[in-house]
Amino acid sequence: MAATAKTVETVRDVEAYKYGFVTDIESDLAPKGLSEEIVRFISAKKNEPKWMLEWRLKAYRYWLTLADEEPTWAKLHFPKIDYQDSYYYAAPKQKVGPKSLDEVDPQLLETYKKLGIPLLEQQILSGVAVDAVFDSVSVATTYKKKLNELGVIFCPISEAVQKHPELVQKYLCSVVPVGDNFYVALNSAVFTDGSFVYIPKGLRCPMELSTYFRINEKNTGQFERTLIIADEGSYVSYLEGCTAPQRDENQLHAAVVELIALDNAEIKYSTVQNWYPGDKDGKGGIYNFVTKRGACRGKNSKIMWTQVETGSAITWKYPSCILQGDGSVGEFYSVAITNNHQQADTGTKMIHIGKNTRSKIISKGISAGKSSNTYRGLVRIQGKADGARNYTKCDSLLIGSTCGAHTVPYIENRSPTAQTEHEATTSKIGEDQLFYCMQRGMTQEEAVSLIVNGFCKEVLQTLPMEFAVEAQKLVGVSLEGGVG
Amino acid sequence: MRLTSLLDHPFRDAYAAKFGALPGATQAWIDGLRQTARGILNTSGLPGPRVEAWKFTGLGDVVKIPFLPSSSAEDIDVREIPLGVPHIPGARRIVLVNGVLSAELSDAVNDPPGLRIGTLKHYLAREPQILKPILGGLASSGSYPMAALNTAYMSDGLVILADKNFPGSTLHIISIGAAGADPVAFHPRHIITLAAGAQLNVIETHIGLPGQSYLSNPLTEISVGENATLKRYVMVAEDNDAFHLSTAAVALAAHGTFEAFHLVVGGGKVRQEVAVAMNGAGATCRINGLYALTGKQHHDLTTVIDHAVGHGTSSQLVKGVVDGQSHGVFQGRIHVAKDAQKTDARQLHKALFLSKGPEVDCKPELEIFADDVQCAHGAATGEMDPNHLFYLMARGIDADTARAMLVSGFLEDAIATISDELVRAAFSDLVQSWLKRRAA
Repeated sequence: MAATAKTVETVRDVEAYKYGFVTDIESDLAPKGLSEEIVRFISAKKNEPKWMLEWRLKAYRYWLTLADEEPTWAKLHFPKIDYQDSYYYAAPKQKVGPKSLDEVDPQLLETYKKLGIPLLEQQILSGVAVDAVFDSVSVATTYKKKLNELGVIFCPISEAVQKHPELVQKYLCSVVPVGDNFYVALNSAVFTDGSFVYIPKGLRCPMELSTYFRINEKNTGQFERTLIIADEGSYVSYLEGCTAPQRDENQLHAAVVELIALDNAEIKYSTVQNWYPGDKDGKGGIYNFVTKRGACRGKNSKIMWTQVETGSAITWKYPSCILQGDGSVGEFYSVAITNNHQQADTGTKMIHIGKNTRSKIISKGISAGKSSNTYRGLVRIQGKADGARNYTKCDSLLIGSTCGAHTVPYIENRSPTAQTEHEATTSKIGEDQLFYCMQRGMTQEEAVSLIVNGFCKEVLQTLPMEFAVEAQKLVGVSLEGGVG
Repeated sequence: MRLTSLLDHPFRDAYAAKFGALPGATQAWIDGLRQTARGILNTSGLPGPRVEAWKFTGLGDVVKIPFLPSSSAEDIDVREIPLGVPHIPGARRIVLVNGVLSAELSDAVNDPPGLRIGTLKHYLAREPQILKPILGGLASSGSYPMAALNTAYMSDGLVILADKNFPGSTLHIISIGAAGADPVAFHPRHIITLAAGAQLNVIETHIGLPGQSYLSNPLTEISVGENATLKRYVMVAEDNDAFHLSTAAVALAAHGTFEAFHLVVGGGKVRQEVAVAMNGAGATCRINGLYALTGKQHHDLTTVIDHAVGHGTSSQLVKGVVDGQSHGVFQGRIHVAKDAQKTDARQLHKALFLSKGPEVDCKPELEIFADDVQCAHGAATGEMDPNHLFYLMARGIDADTARAMLVSGFLEDAIATISDELVRAAFSDLVQSWLKRRAA
């Protein structure tokens, strides 16, 4: 029992948030609050064409009708958000977009250094192209030239609106309609930036595309919009990671990500989410309401989501796959770690429409402290999805007796030839496991980290190399204060 | 958020005239319960599709039917127990027609010492002090929508009280639904209370006369005392035009045991909700079930097991076969409270498709607030494994027989969980005859 008590104690005193610092850069702020003027302001700031403004206004008007329809079904408790008490636009002050790294504000580069993103090094050594989003505006894009030669479009979505309106108009909102939910409508009205990726036919994108998001300006809601299109026979691996500075006030984040995979295309989307989770008394922290959805439009297409969720005070996130093309595959791998007063309600939806579609869900939830961790998932097999197959496995690990772990799967099957399987278990770190490790000279923290990393291994090993290391560290750090 | 759009349920007007005539109407406490229930019904109505717990079972068709309140058994001419009621040797048969006791059809025997069986009407009139602390205590109108409906209009039911260390008896409650010309609704309210160390087996058969449309809305409040054991086996073979929406709320004291089996082979729309509060340490709860659906049948088994204290064990195995355009639903929630350490909770739901057209929805839910527990659930749906079929056919068994063997084997698994031998045999026969009917 003593060992358990000690584990609980160590987990409780989480180490001060490692990435908690604020970079002091003047921001170009729109006034607080949300109105049609603000939507017009953002659109004007972005030099957007008329169709884009119309689209935003439509979304905004729809959002107004949803005023009392904020989703309440998730197992999350937080004070009502005053949407008028937030800034909807903040851009680092720069008159002209930077052409190279030299033009980038050195303070920004310093920030990245602290975060451990070796932007310069990456450019030279690693072959990872980084489209860094700093407070809603992309400030540095590397490897653009090389990607350009291959025909890959990888740019801020605001740029895509200007340069590739036909693609944006065709695909934006084709997976996540504006009216999908409260946060999508809000995002559609006020999104400031995000990434746009187009991989041409038959191309296997030779490098991992990566974006680091970062909330910096105090009180700004960050509304990212990402759109990735993989044309026939192409492949792309996209990495998204976030860290945010320490803050007292809750910050709102409502991103929308849409993926489209055409015939035989494959998209691998990996996320490491480490927004500020609030302090150990549950004060502050990011509210993360994200809608991520991919459509496997083409035959034998594949979308794979991997997420490592360690941060945010509130996580509301369900990366989903719509398996339309015959033989398409959707996969979802998730590690969600909650500590202190964090609350996570996360999972996936797999909608099987095409024949012989397959999906696999592996979810690992780890709760410690006073946190609450919920897996919520839907597997729906429609009547024409002959031979569809789903396998779901949800495991929860509880550390301490003051946290909660919940599993809420929905399985809806209308196809007799389909097979669905779901299993879930809940357990704690065994005294005998801890004893075994510690007897061999490991500290308790090392032992817990080892066991937890082993518990998550199935998911972590699906991450690209570049991310796997960071993710493993995060798993340790999130339960830290010692543990890991 | 609006919870429902089914505010104007058809029961309201039909029942308004009857309020004064309902049993116990003159007693303030029972009238208060009914008024609260009516208040809830008037504001929230019956659950609509946006009520999470009723997501898979819509009541849109129920509210469209102008059900009349069923007044008493005398109106309906039921002379004998319908065929299809299983014979349980040694069980005392108690027959209800539209929720009202039929002395004529019931076995005329005296209560054994330590067991009292009476009607709700009787207890309300003669010994209300016994009911006062029990009625509505486990299933309040606010917690279950069907409980509100039942409480508002309940007129009769059975009260079964087993004294301390009652050594055991088997009761077979046969509930017959009979509408006559107009569709009727009845809301029987049953109380089963076992004092410490008592044992009781209750078999419930819900059956209807053919071709009649009725709504059966029974609510049973069950309290199992320390070290007591209740086995409750429910068989639903209602008519295909009938609606059966039942609720059972169970409270288990320390080391109490509740074993339930729900066999569903009939009924147009059936929903059974079983909520078990494991309030005492070391309690055991088993809820198993089997559904075999054809045509346009709809069945929903919803269970909520609340491990409020530690050292409890719960297990659930539910199997279903679906044919035609039927719809099978299983929702099972396991809640493990903060201090319920050493809980062991298991749950498994499996459904087998017999044709193209049915739908199976499943929502196994775990809510865990204690760390030293073992909880697991599983759910699987699919069709028959062609390899299994091939194996049997390669040995000279024709396709139909082979299929029947596999279905039977799949279902017998669930039947095997029934610990009472006689009931197991009777339920097994019912499943076999369902398979024969399907083959014919």
